Amino acid sequence: MTNDHRIVIVPCSGIGKTYGSVSREAAYVATEDLRPAETQLVALSLLVLGDEQARAEVADNVSITIDGCQLACASKMVKESGGTIAKNYAVLEVYRRHRQFKPQGIGELNAGGQQLAQALAEEIAQEIDALTLAEQTGGQHG
Amino acid sequence: MVDLPQKKVGIVACSGEERAEGTVTRLAALQVLEQLRAQDTVTICLPLFLAGGEGDRAFARFYPTIAIDGCDRRCAAKATEMYSGKPAASVVVADLLRERSIGTAHRLNEAGRQAVDWTAEHTARLVDELLDRRWDRRAGEFFDEHKTTEAAEPIEATCACGSGIPVQMVEIAGQRVTLIALPVIFRQFHGVGRLPSDQVTRELLDMVKIYNVVPAEQEADYLAMLEQEYAAYCAKVTT
Repeated sequence: MTNDHRIVIVPCSGIGKTYGSVSREAAYVATEDLRPAETQLVALSLLVLGDEQARAEVADNVSITIDGCQLACASKMVKESGGTIAKNYAVLEVYRRHRQFKPQGIGELNAGGQQLAQALAEEIAQEIDALTLAEQTGGQHG
Repeated sequence: MVDLPQKKVGIVACSGEERAEGTVTRLAALQVLEQLRAQDTVTICLPLFLAGGEGDRAFARFYPTIAIDGCDRRCAAKATEMYSGKPAASVVVADLLRERSIGTAHRLNEAGRQAVDWTAEHTARLVDELLDRRWDRRAGEFFDEHKTTEAAEPIEATCACGSGIPVQMVEIAGQRVTLIALPVIFRQFHGVGRLPSDQVTRELLDMVKIYNVVPAEQEADYLAMLEQEYAAYCAKVTT
């Protein structure tokens, strides 16, 4: 990804369930630890408010969304903001792939939640690599 | 008399993922909801005002709501007012901060954790103040303190994840209208053995008027609708 075109990561703002916290934690791990140069975190609350800069970032770049429940607020708001979703992750589906990491807690995730977030972030990093490669080779991804 | 649960205060945090102050709002809201005022508060995810349904958008009309924002963009307060109802109170974390360096959104430092505690305690005090006042769910604002109208108590608390306020779409004089709390009103009337009758229909209308605006010129239409819908509800739940 070029500096002008970074992949936007939009996690859900779920405050009532542990999967929302996993979503948020995974977004931080992906954007701060694993692929900081290729990604940019956009706050869902800004999209809800219709913030022009946030909408432009979403509209001008491809997004990866992370949803904590079936209401899929992150995905809906990215679409609503004119964005393109390269990949959506539902935390529940990720948990089904990593059942050894059982998340608990909301304000403070337990070890299982942290590990699930790390596993999800690593899946996201792989997706970012694939998208980056596709852009570099001018090919299509997906 | 239908027994409705106690009054609660709604908490809406911006949860801004990109700023440390956003993390403070989220953790402070959780501290209020889970520890400081667990019995008196409910919450909803901010995006549900757009991504959810009518029940979610009714949240801030139904509950006197405190918006907790991280910065002066005030996403929670503004979006709540735009899509649901005007918050009864508002908190901006940046205004409460005594220490400017509070860590990152991912990892708050000690000052950030103290900011969580201050914000939560400040919000809990606001909850107490709001619980002492009487909230008008039709208008989405406080009753005039001089009025003597009997205040309604809120229905069963709902959570952050899309269950929202129970609403029902009905047809009144050829128009589709969303009525707040109608499902729970029907459930509670039926639960105490109230069978369909003219008297019950009038009592249902009185209860509906607590939560919804009923134009005076349409009361007859509302009565006709309630008679029909409640009879249908009773028939459904007894089969």
